Amino acid sequence: MATVTNWIDHLNKPAEEVAGAIYPGAGSSETLLVILAFIIWIGWHVLTAKSESEELERLARKKHGANDHKSNIAEW
Amino acid sequence: MTDQLGALTTIFTEFYYWVTVVLMFLIHVGFCMYEVGASRYKHHQHTLMKNTMLIPLVTVTWFLFGWWIYWAFPTGPGIAPSIMNESTALITDESTFSAKWYLANTEYMAVNLGDHISGVFWAAFLLFSWTAASIVSGAIIERITTFAFGILAIAIGSVFWTIDAAWGWHFDGWMLKILGYHDAYASGVIHAIAGGFALGVLMVLGPRIGKFSSSGEPRNIGPRNPWLVTIGLFLIYTGFWGFYAACNIPIFDLGPEYGMEGISYWTATNIYVTPTTLSGITFNFLMSLSGGLLAGYWIAKGDPFWTYSSGLAGVICASAGNDLYHPIQSMIIGMIGVVIAYKLHYWVERKFKIDDAVGAVAVHGYAGFVGLVICGFVLNGYPSSGYSVGAMWDGTTYASINPLGMFLGAIIMFGVLGMLPGYVIAKILHGMGKLRIPREVEIAGLDYEMMETAKSDEKTVSSATR
Repeated sequence: MATVTNWIDHLNKPAEEVAGAIYPGAGSSETLLVILAFIIWIGWHVLTAKSESEELERLARKKHGANDHKSNIAEW
Repeated sequence: MTDQLGALTTIFTEFYYWVTVVLMFLIHVGFCMYEVGASRYKHHQHTLMKNTMLIPLVTVTWFLFGWWIYWAFPTGPGIAPSIMNESTALITDESTFSAKWYLANTEYMAVNLGDHISGVFWAAFLLFSWTAASIVSGAIIERITTFAFGILAIAIGSVFWTIDAAWGWHFDGWMLKILGYHDAYASGVIHAIAGGFALGVLMVLGPRIGKFSSSGEPRNIGPRNPWLVTIGLFLIYTGFWGFYAACNIPIFDLGPEYGMEGISYWTATNIYVTPTTLSGITFNFLMSLSGGLLAGYWIAKGDPFWTYSSGLAGVICASAGNDLYHPIQSMIIGMIGVVIAYKLHYWVERKFKIDDAVGAVAVHGYAGFVGLVICGFVLNGYPSSGYSVGAMWDGTTYASINPLGMFLGAIIMFGVLGMLPGYVIAKILHGMGKLRIPREVEIAGLDYEMMETAKSDEKTVSSATR
């Protein structure tokens, strides 16, 4: 997966190759990485939305009043 | 400087590092705000003073011997020969980058028209030293003596981190040659070592009173001031960006440096003098920060303290290879580091009763360790240096980056140079009765008398009529 294995050999290449991408998997992995990023992005929304809904429902069930939070202010 | 290109390159490099030093100052401002925000009201001012006083303590010792250690120790000594003089001894001869020129009494450690770089480079490394000490500071708040912290800050800031930098963050370091170690933006050389050191100290220091119930169940002592924590961590992010820039050489001609006749290749390089771009590392810094924030928000269920810390942990985890990673690789690595660090923090807390007040061991130590290990797999086969490529264990050439070498490097950073010295020095301080404040003072609050005096002063002033 390494794109460069020897810097001296690499810099001895023609200028247009030297100036190219040097990250691991350059030229073969970009599409896969982008698909992965999309899956993570969408998955994050699904997971956090589910978690947030559960928390909000739990809080709503307790039916606290508008001033109840004032008794929760901590003074360490 | 007699020609225009040489003058431009030198003055640009001098100014570049100078700017990074100013930016990195924000890391320390951030750490001070963050620690005060995390501490309880009755300990605020002592917490602030403890972290502030590491500035002069580490600076003076960095001037006296810390900087010298960096240039003297790349060979071990006795582990791998230097490429400058082919000796495995401490590098104190007449060679260009010898420690001889960085003794506190040499003419280069002052205003010198023949040297525009030493001072700003010294300062850039000094700011890294402050960071290493400041990472430890957060974990041990509210119960350590300022004296003990001063000794520990000097040990990590001016001795152990500079040894690890000489070994694994220097173009001539033995860890590059023998292990193929690569750590471009200091997952290990700053973060894993400081996290490991903090863990070693915490093992001796013990938890804050009230942290664990009589049955051993951990209790949450949350941040006193979430706004200070927020601004503090944003400032740390900002300073960390300056840190990334400071880890690079901004402009360098690699052709002559690598001994390639007739070839000129101007580029920015990392600390190992291998090519990267400021543009590329900007992609990676922001993507790993985002990966950390996303993973932290998810795993901590929206807890702000952990979400902010996870942004930092994401960058720290990806830092070892952020000179070469693709931005999406960087993001994913940041996410993995955060999940492991978060889980490990609570497991260690429950299992070993370790009270890490700000999660510093997790965010810096575990995330840094994991980042080094992942880097060994993702960058497997890349050269660790531009000067030569050879086999692992050889020592006369530079091994390529590989998983085993990076794993061993992570153990050296976290365990050998971090946790072990932290534990031993804390044990000595404990034996002298100098490590921990008295129980009564901890309960009353380190600032009790300051607060009492302030109240009395206020009363006197408010009752005055003229």
